[in-house]
Amino acid sequence: MSALLEVERLEVDFGGKVAAVRGTSFTVERGETHCLVGESGCGKSVTALSIMDLLARGARRRAQRLSFEGNDLRGLSDKAMARLRGNEMAMIFQEPMTSLNPAYTVGSQMTEGLRRHRKVSQREATDRAADLLARVGITAPGLRLGQFPHQLSGGLRQRVMIAMALMCEPKLLIADEPTTALDVTVQAQILRLLATLQRDLGLGLLLITHDLGIVARIATRVSVMYAGEVVESAATADLFANPKHPYTQGLLRCVPVPGKIQRDQPLGSIPGTVPRIGPGFEGCAFRERCGFADETCAHAVPRHNAGGTHDFLCRLPA
Amino acid sequence: MTAPIAIEVKGVRKTFLVKDGLLSKPRHVVAVDDVSFSVPQGGVLGVVGESGCGKSTPARLILGLLEPSAGEITVEGQKILAMDRKARARLIQPVFQDPFSSLNPLTRVRDIVAMPLIAQGTLDRATVTTRVEEMLERVGLSREQGTRLPTELSGGQRQRVAIARALVLRPRIVVCDEPTSALDVSVQAQILNLLAELRKDLGLTYLFISHNLAVVEHVASDVAVMYLGRFVERQPTETLFAHPEHPYTKALLASVLTPEPGLGVPDVGLGDTLPDPANIPPGCRFHPRCPIAEPRCSVERPPLKPRPGGGVECLLVP
Repeated sequence: MSALLEVERLEVDFGGKVAAVRGTSFTVERGETHCLVGESGCGKSVTALSIMDLLARGARRRAQRLSFEGNDLRGLSDKAMARLRGNEMAMIFQEPMTSLNPAYTVGSQMTEGLRRHRKVSQREATDRAADLLARVGITAPGLRLGQFPHQLSGGLRQRVMIAMALMCEPKLLIADEPTTALDVTVQAQILRLLATLQRDLGLGLLLITHDLGIVARIATRVSVMYAGEVVESAATADLFANPKHPYTQGLLRCVPVPGKIQRDQPLGSIPGTVPRIGPGFEGCAFRERCGFADETCAHAVPRHNAGGTHDFLCRLPA
Repeated sequence: MTAPIAIEVKGVRKTFLVKDGLLSKPRHVVAVDDVSFSVPQGGVLGVVGESGCGKSTPARLILGLLEPSAGEITVEGQKILAMDRKARARLIQPVFQDPFSSLNPLTRVRDIVAMPLIAQGTLDRATVTTRVEEMLERVGLSREQGTRLPTELSGGQRQRVAIARALVLRPRIVVCDEPTSALDVSVQAQILNLLAELRKDLGLTYLFISHNLAVVEHVASDVAVMYLGRFVERQPTETLFAHPEHPYTKALLASVLTPEPGLGVPDVGLGDTLPDPANIPPGCRFHPRCPIAEPRCSVERPPLKPRPGGGVECLLVP
């Protein structure tokens, strides 16, 4: 059986000027949480949007393979894609305030998708919405269905977004920074909820985040992105125990860990900033910030296997 | 031996009048509720709390940008509101969160940094130029970057500009309000290291406001935990992180997702009732969310139980 989502050598550029995604490959299996982690501008959100075919006009998407349950997504008509989107594959966005429509009630937004994809009555759809709101931990779901987004707190809005994404029982859920706009205590609650739902419903979850703490706690598998490429990919435990790519190593050193902080020591940091990369760029994109770089890094870099399913993109040997 | 006091806040209260809509009655929002604290010279007081807890208000009060509704603030022995604006600028300076909106996009970097010096009106052009160049170099910006516009710089570089602008008058105290929250983790580490280095070299005192506990643990000598306008716990940093006492501090610490795989997402045990600063609960203001609240917590106001270098406001701690 093919994987739930397969992405192979995905490339996205904007008007032929900025190469946002440069040959990203990864798969999401049924029932697994795959985290795409990276800093702003590394192409992780563009990757998510291009899977859902929601890229802005002017963006070009190419891929050697882009398939959902073995079905090629590349040649699908807009109509066929619209049948999948919000139905079999759903997405949760970062900012629940801007992704909910302020002019419609929670109930009407939640039922719209289900009524469009399935032949159900408004009554049935509303019942399902109320069930799901209760499922995501919202008390008094009947009341919430009649409310508008501005009447809900940030944490509640994000729960509504999650419930809405689950309306059609998707097989794949893509969550783009679902907790970044929330407070830490609320973030923990929402992530627990996502992890529980993912396990109970056997969802494939593609979670996009910049936070290595979230990755460590929730991911089955991690792909680290830098400048539009996956530079390292491994099972979560392997990546944290044995990071191979200098960027991954640097990123892990930058994260202050409570209780393990030596206050007089400077934090590990990565010098410089992410470069802007145009089409036709060659070599390792991290070389200007890397302590191990030499002249060979300006040419094509090999992908090494570090045992099992752990691989990384670097001239350094495993 | 105790260092002299740099910042002294006594019984300060700040309320805002908030109107929800055209027809609704204005409500009083208590942002800071009878808070007293002091920061010794050369110290770093970290203030942590979630959004809406009022943690930015003390910063703006100390800077003299807001007038307290009650109470008194003295900075280096002088009443902040009685001070002349220019003298105040030489004593205390801010670094704000968002380097994208706190820098004028139409002004060159070196002119932004020169502005505070020019506003003083006592220095000649040549001195201003040398001071600006020294300062840019000190924060790690090149002479060439000084000729650019903020829009041409990355987030980290812009925050360096904001720091240069704050320090060019050689102030004694810097108020940092979420100075790294808009930055990527690798860049955040650079900026935190720079702030720590500058503090040591220039003998500065910081008030450091952040929602990120790990960041605060790294930079602060003392930490105050703010909840709905009050400091519910204040301790020296090591003590607070090793032996948190207030249930809210414990929940905050438990919510931090350290990059340690296999631990899962913790259950922080806080209910779904989110705090509303316009509607502060009676008794202990944390009791509706507190996992160990007793009936008396909703009636009695918790007294301050003093600790060496701080105190805790909870009825249930000894």
